[in-house]
Amino acid sequence: MKKILYLEDDLEIGRIVKEDLEQRGYFVHWLTSGEGAVEALKDEELVILDVMLPGLDGFTVGQRLKRHHPEVPILMLSARTSVDDKLQGLNFADDYVTKPFHPEELAARIEVLLRRNQRAMPEEIRVGRLIVNLTENRILTQSGEEILLTAKQHQIFMYLLRHPNQILTKEQLYEAVWGASFLEGDKSLMVHIRYLREKIEEQPSEPKIVETIRGIGYRVKL
Amino acid sequence: MKKLRQSLLIQYVLIILVATMFIPITVPALSILFFNFTPEDDSSDRYYNGTDIEQMWSSTAKELGGATEEQIRDKFLEMKGIYPEASLYFIDEEGQNRLKYPESLEIPQHWSASYAVDFMKKNRGGEVDPFTVVSFIGDDQGEGFIVLQIPRSDMVSPSSINGELYNYFIIGTFILILIGFIVISTLFFYRIRKRLLHLQKVMDTSEGNSIPSAVEVKHQDEIGRLGQSFNRMVEELETGRKREQEEEKLRKELIANLSHDLRTPLTTIRGHAYRLKKESLSEDGQESVDLIDEKVNFMAELMENLLSYTLLHAGKYPYHPEEVDIVRLIRTSFAGWYPIFENMKFKIELEIPDERIVWNIDPQWFHRILDNFFQNVYRHAGNGRYVGIKIENRSVIIEDRGPGMSAQSGKKGAGVGLSVVSLMLKEMQLNWDIDTSEQGTTMKITPK
Repeated sequence: MKKILYLEDDLEIGRIVKEDLEQRGYFVHWLTSGEGAVEALKDEELVILDVMLPGLDGFTVGQRLKRHHPEVPILMLSARTSVDDKLQGLNFADDYVTKPFHPEELAARIEVLLRRNQRAMPEEIRVGRLIVNLTENRILTQSGEEILLTAKQHQIFMYLLRHPNQILTKEQLYEAVWGASFLEGDKSLMVHIRYLREKIEEQPSEPKIVETIRGIGYRVKL
Repeated sequence: MKKLRQSLLIQYVLIILVATMFIPITVPALSILFFNFTPEDDSSDRYYNGTDIEQMWSSTAKELGGATEEQIRDKFLEMKGIYPEASLYFIDEEGQNRLKYPESLEIPQHWSASYAVDFMKKNRGGEVDPFTVVSFIGDDQGEGFIVLQIPRSDMVSPSSINGELYNYFIIGTFILILIGFIVISTLFFYRIRKRLLHLQKVMDTSEGNSIPSAVEVKHQDEIGRLGQSFNRMVEELETGRKREQEEEKLRKELIANLSHDLRTPLTTIRGHAYRLKKESLSEDGQESVDLIDEKVNFMAELMENLLSYTLLHAGKYPYHPEEVDIVRLIRTSFAGWYPIFENMKFKIELEIPDERIVWNIDPQWFHRILDNFFQNVYRHAGNGRYVGIKIENRSVIIEDRGPGMSAQSGKKGAGVGLSVVSLMLKEMQLNWDIDTSEQGTTMKITPK
């Protein structure tokens, strides 16, 4: 059972969140002030932190926690919505959720953070007619044929798989794969995607795995 | 003395007064000085006037009546002492030249009657140079005559030279006084001008915070008092600024606290609604819970917009303009909204070029504006099932086929959001056109 350290001074909100997260199968260690938070953090895998805490404020507590336990992700939960506050929070925190948040949204974000931290991607992803083994970096068709990709094709495909259901713009993809800023008019990404499709799609002219979102970018739906 | 130092007017009046008083006082004073120091050179035995010389010469000749040549010579030497420039000669009754001074004088040894007449004729008149006087020795004409010739240049008396000098002296003095007055006046005004310029420079210099620093007051005159007033003003400005900053800080804290205090109960409401939803509820109950949830969202957004609007209006909303490729920005922004419109079975039309279009805007602000537009399409234009984004002729166009803004009665609250958008666009120098009808709404953003 995953443990979460939760700092919240509002008793009502605290109770609801604790209850909901416990129902979702987490163990919640709830503190009502920032004092002693660093000492309290032992085997918890995530910290949920309110900004307006009595005594030490959330920003200070968060920075201290990050200094002592840099590996533990911090999710800020705050009623402060200004860009400045968000930026200040994201200096050290891994996510920033504003109140009033929806409990389901909070749960989803917690899941993302925990997964990211553990690199807990499933070993195998099924996408269309393919089975992608992420640990072995192998792509097989359902019939067991292995598909070999070039380095760039592989990088592009993996980046899309790591951001499933998300539309990635040309710029985002290019900059993630090539590591250089995208120049308008550069066709190399398009060309690589065309070759990628020829290898992985059943009908490259009607792609089902790597979707083109016209005018925006590409998406892989899982 | 104190008053003098405190008033530029009095100082200047004094300068004028001194300048005017100088003339009546200095002229007599200088005259006295002048005449006391120039030599009183009217040595009594010397004459400069023609008539006086003639009289002196004829009486000398009379006195020489019966005198020996030796005596005449002595007299001549005496005369020569008084009139060093003069020529003197003695012609006896025979017409024989007996004495002449200076020795180099070229005159005939023997004077014939015709020569004498010619000589007399030549040397007569007021203008003839040298001035010539002829006198017979003694009472009758039997002893011959003596001649005295003085160059006109030697007949100018020193006092008349002094008179001329005096005129020059007075005129010179006047000119000097005038120049002195001009110089002093110029210096006086130059000093005033310098101080005024200095003051102006100090008032102009803004040290970033736009309040000039205080000036140093050295003199207690009008300009000095101006400086003091200026310093008082600066001081007041500074206290005002400080107070304003304190108020600003208080206000910011108040808004932040208010926002926090309102959001906390909203969070609780939402949490409880969520809990309720998990209970077994009737269909109506579920609907109510959904409505509560939706209203919580709406309230939160309203608060956010109100906060932004207040900050924007006060010019306190953080603004960081930079060169932004809006094509890329729109693409990124719409990538987030695409799945939502896709789920709602919208027809999505994107017509954005494959080239950079750079605007000088704050990307965060523009993101927020686009989000606001897309949100409005999502909320109010769902019936149209259409969203279009175009970049045409340097304009960004967002279209929907909803019922138009006038029909947006169901879900109000777009007002504050659009006010925020309007303020942000204005701040970023962007023009904004809305074309709304029952067939749909078109938003158009164009740089000015």
